[in-house]
Amino acid sequence: MAADPQLKQKVQELIAENPVLLFMKGTPETPRCGFSMRVVGVLEQLGVDYGAVDVLPALGPLREVTTEISDWQTFPQLYANGELVGGCDIVEEMLDSGELAEVLGVDQPTEVEPPEPQRILPGGPQQSPPMQLG
Amino acid sequence: MADLAELERMIAVALPGAEVEVLDEGGRDHLRARVAASQFEGLSRLEQHRLVRSAVRERFEDGSIHALSIETATPSR
Repeated sequence: MAADPQLKQKVQELIAENPVLLFMKGTPETPRCGFSMRVVGVLEQLGVDYGAVDVLPALGPLREVTTEISDWQTFPQLYANGELVGGCDIVEEMLDSGELAEVLGVDQPTEVEPPEPQRILPGGPQQSPPMQLG
Repeated sequence: MADLAELERMIAVALPGAEVEVLDEGGRDHLRARVAASQFEGLSRLEQHRLVRSAVRERFEDGSIHALSIETATPSR
């Protein structure tokens, strides 16, 4: 079934107007799907300004639109600079690799960097137990 | 509810020679697909995921898959 041309135009305008745009189930404040919530978490972690569209009120028609625009049927969908970045898996992988910060033009947050290896305690000679007297 | 073996077949048909594994991550509609395919070489992650998703599109459309996590790789040589 072909997408509704008016809705498609509206979606294309939103993608063009918002440098970072998330199509999600629910809202950033009240996500209605774990995957959408995870992408919101990533964007919050990066401290990036983004627009969000709740797809639930028009899930079927929006699916048809994004299929035509980006050949992608599932939500969440993150767009940056007019192009589809991906869904939850891709966004999380790109966060870990630092690619996402680059695409979004922000600094990689320090807490995402691999943790420093635990400092190995100096392995001095073990204290011998106190001698038993008597 | 999805038929995992059928999904593996659908992906294998779309990507001949691929190593495919589809796992249930809960309720038989939250699934994970692990796919290693030589067809992925030179493609962006987005394009790789598209190939896998489009192979099982019908099962998204009929509601038997709610969510599909995808891991893609090119076969190790």
